[in-house]
Amino acid sequence: MGRFVLRCLAWLPAAFALWYLTAPVLLAPSVWLARGLCAVGFPDLVRAVTDSGATVTFITRISAGTTAARGVVTVDVNLLLYSFGLPMYAALTLASRNPHWKRLLAIGYVALLPFVTWGLVADFLKNLAITSGPAIASQTGFSGWQREAIALAYQLGTLILPAVVPVVLWVATQLRPGVGGAVSSVARTAERS
Amino acid sequence: MLRFLAVFIGLLTLMFGVELTPWAQTWLVAPWTDGVARTATAVIHLFDAGARAQGNIVGTGDGSFAVSIEAGCNGVEATLVLIAAMVAWPASWRRRASGIAIGTIAVQALNVVRVVSLFYLGQWSRDAFEWAHLYVWQALIMLDVLVVWLLWVRWSPAGAARDGSQGPPGGPTGTPPAPAPAA
Repeated sequence: MGRFVLRCLAWLPAAFALWYLTAPVLLAPSVWLARGLCAVGFPDLVRAVTDSGATVTFITRISAGTTAARGVVTVDVNLLLYSFGLPMYAALTLASRNPHWKRLLAIGYVALLPFVTWGLVADFLKNLAITSGPAIASQTGFSGWQREAIALAYQLGTLILPAVVPVVLWVATQLRPGVGGAVSSVARTAERS
Repeated sequence: MLRFLAVFIGLLTLMFGVELTPWAQTWLVAPWTDGVARTATAVIHLFDAGARAQGNIVGTGDGSFAVSIEAGCNGVEATLVLIAAMVAWPASWRRRASGIAIGTIAVQALNVVRVVSLFYLGQWSRDAFEWAHLYVWQALIMLDVLVVWLLWVRWSPAGAARDGSQGPPGGPTGTPPAPAPAA
């Protein structure tokens, strides 16, 4: 177990560095997902979703003021905030010394992207519908319960999902059918060294 | 496996939902967070007698720098994850209770280290503070939860067997599996 933890801690800096340096490419699919989600779910709210580096900008159809020269509201979201689970999962997987590590990394990458998109879109909606103030929030048309749902989705997407999903996913990839098998498999994985 | 995941996700969602209610925030989370701030300040006093805690804020004596312990940095969510994982895993309630008690201490101890390290990192470099705060410590705290849970799972095979699971193939000690009883 001790060596597993040490290997995990040794892999973390490399995984974080790679994640940070390749974020615009690595996380592009989650931006595409967000773009598709907004096009389907919020066509009246979102005009475009653009990205620059790890910053995603939601260009809305919401007016920013009441004067003739008013512009539209844009919301910037830091994609890294919701994707640090990727290097975390990579470090766990590589520390496990699983012979199928390449496949597991690919599975983890694909499985984690929707949760990155969750955080991204929830952050945008929270900014627009809750923290932007009543002048802007009133234009979104969200009802009270919808704002509550957005707040919950944001809290989940910020406090729970980014850190928990990679760990759950890693545990799931170590498990065998049946709880009993899982005990030995997970423990052995951590104990192998 | 599916049962474990379903119970874990259900419990975690339930506890997280309760944690977000105004009542829980006022009577549980806020006092807990203040306690984390006071504990972190007590540790900082080992190196810097001027540090002060005020509510959920830990600051330098001269007021030049302070960190505010907010949701996600108070260790509450990490503890909820640990509790959900231990309750969802087949084990006796006694083992669960002892695991949760010891695990909570382990998670909160590392969380105090996080607060103390951020307190000093922030005074040294804003960039380092942001990186450690937003990404690195989030990962480390959850790894702590995972390690505590793995140790607990490793040391509680009897609970798994008692709750009617198949038991690990080859048993917890790695011996060959016993033949299935004849019907």
